Amino acid sequence: MVRIDAKNLSATEINRRIKDAASSADEIKVVNPQARHNIAVGVLQPCNITIEGSVGYYGASLMDGPEVHIDGNAGWALGENLMSGKITVTKDAGASVAASMRGGEIVVGRNAGARAGISMKGGTLLIGGNAGFLTGFMMQKGRIVVCGDVGDAVGDSMYEGVIYVGGEIGSLGTDAKVEPVSEGELIELWALLEQHGIEDKPRFRKIVSEKKLYHFDKLERLEMSAV
Amino acid sequence: MVQSTSQIWARHVIDDIHAKADIGRYRIRGFSTFQKVTHFDDLSFLSTGLTRFPLEGYKEKCNTQVELGGRHASEPLVLETPVYITGMSYGALSGHAKQALGTAATMVGTASCTGDGGMLQAEREASEKLIYQVLPSRYGFNPHHLVAAQAVEIVVGQGAKPGTGGMLMGVKVLDHIAESRDLPSGIDQRSPARHPDWLGPDDLAVKIEQIREATDGRVPVSVKLGACRVSDDVKLAAKAGADIIVIDSMVAGTGASGEALLDHSGIPTVPAIVMAREALREMGLYGEVSLVASGGIRSGADMAKSLALGADAVAIGIGALIALNCNRDIPEADFEREVGVPAGDCHHCQTGKCPVGIATQDPVLEARLNPDEGADRVANFLNSMTMEAALLTRSLGKSDVRSLEPEDMVALSLEASAMARIPLAGTNKVFGWD
Repeated sequence: MVRIDAKNLSATEINRRIKDAASSADEIKVVNPQARHNIAVGVLQPCNITIEGSVGYYGASLMDGPEVHIDGNAGWALGENLMSGKITVTKDAGASVAASMRGGEIVVGRNAGARAGISMKGGTLLIGGNAGFLTGFMMQKGRIVVCGDVGDAVGDSMYEGVIYVGGEIGSLGTDAKVEPVSEGELIELWALLEQHGIEDKPRFRKIVSEKKLYHFDKLERLEMSAV
Repeated sequence: MVQSTSQIWARHVIDDIHAKADIGRYRIRGFSTFQKVTHFDDLSFLSTGLTRFPLEGYKEKCNTQVELGGRHASEPLVLETPVYITGMSYGALSGHAKQALGTAATMVGTASCTGDGGMLQAEREASEKLIYQVLPSRYGFNPHHLVAAQAVEIVVGQGAKPGTGGMLMGVKVLDHIAESRDLPSGIDQRSPARHPDWLGPDDLAVKIEQIREATDGRVPVSVKLGACRVSDDVKLAAKAGADIIVIDSMVAGTGASGEALLDHSGIPTVPAIVMAREALREMGLYGEVSLVASGGIRSGADMAKSLALGADAVAIGIGALIALNCNRDIPEADFEREVGVPAGDCHHCQTGKCPVGIATQDPVLEARLNPDEGADRVANFLNSMTMEAALLTRSLGKSDVRSLEPEDMVALSLEASAMARIPLAGTNKVFGWD
């Protein structure tokens, strides 16, 4: 195990030490992160990272492969563009958690801010508490599971992918609709929750795209078909 | 005698209203604005006479190499000529076109840039100096591609359609393009205008730091702006930590844009460069933050004038595509039948029916563009631009394109004098500023 005391280190030095240790250490522990921005950025190989304390913006972002556990809160854009791997944060996450995520899994123990799962392109985002407005905004693929409530305009302009909400829905976004959830889906979702130590079994509602914004209503002659 | 037809309700206006009456929405097209704006033709160089000596125009050494992004990056972008290929997406352009542009850039020692569709492997392999764009859509964004790039460009806006995202009509969103962008096939794709993970300039500063962390501070981080509120935007981008600022003007090109934005938004290239230069100068960062101009650069003369106004380099899009054969009546093409206009009048990139295989995803059309032959033509054009700029520079008695300055030029119109902040020819007066 490599232990990095971040108390007097810059984000650049913290990241350098994480990247240096990633290929050899079985576990990397970062203590005293002091909510700095850009901690654990750009780690592109499997490794285990534990951060004891809160991180600022872009914690564990631009990653492919690592498993990161953050014992604290996270600022904006936690796990941005995750390709594969897993990120858990025990407390709250700020706005734009899992922005443009392409694969892997991100788990928020408590609440998430606005725009959770914005532009998601794959993977699973699980939020144990509530999520803010514009959850799943312009989502393209993947799965968002919110055990609590979501704010206004959930699923606005989403293309594909699915958003499950266990609590109240503030309002649906443009081109989003509620669709019935099958028993099979519920069982799968409850298993996911159980796997992450969440005992509740909410009767999730499912939000998907209505697909009415896929095309302009009318096209000009030359815009219509390929040669 | 007055005109026999109305200036206000001209034929093209009538046609436009008829089209909108049929489709019930704004119209979409490619190419660039049809507005008449002040441009580089309104500026002229003051070559040498008796006040200074020229260099031999065809022989003496004239440096054209420029370095961009040295403000923070440990590996700045070094270009053998102050022009590179701007970001144009794989999707808007065919794979053959992207590959040809990358190859041409490498042939002349300059860079090419990805675009709003992620990185095409063929372009990566062709382009030794690849600028990787970070766009609001993040289509195909991959940190492995990011760390392999020679520069990173965060796109805030595009001159042809500032304040909005990319656009790719469904006719071009075939399965392979849809897959690379994680989108459903065939949709009329309208990309996000806002970045998913940051909103304002203070956030941008953290985003730039994030890119630096991911790339170990090696490569320059550029910020591309559509030229609108240039002074404020440039200052905010510089304060956020940009190594390079790209100003993309209202005459810049696009594969598809709402016409209302193409023609009625932004400012021309000439005042955009000057405003950006002055904004950096006010911050004490002129010369430290590299400045790149794009929009309507058609020749080495336009490039030289951009540098004289204060840019460190220019980026070209449409010019490179024309070199590739855009609007050329090649034997395989039938412009009238395929896009309804003769070669030379085509601006139908949005339709995917490009008769010369550039702005299309149709394999039959794409086959009309041989990437190796196309690369040769683009490299020739880039070389001609370099030679023209060097020719003008030597005629001014200078041996380095970086020595070009506003004092080397005069304006040929009142508007150009005011916008370029240089004297009107035949006067000593800078209109609007003296």
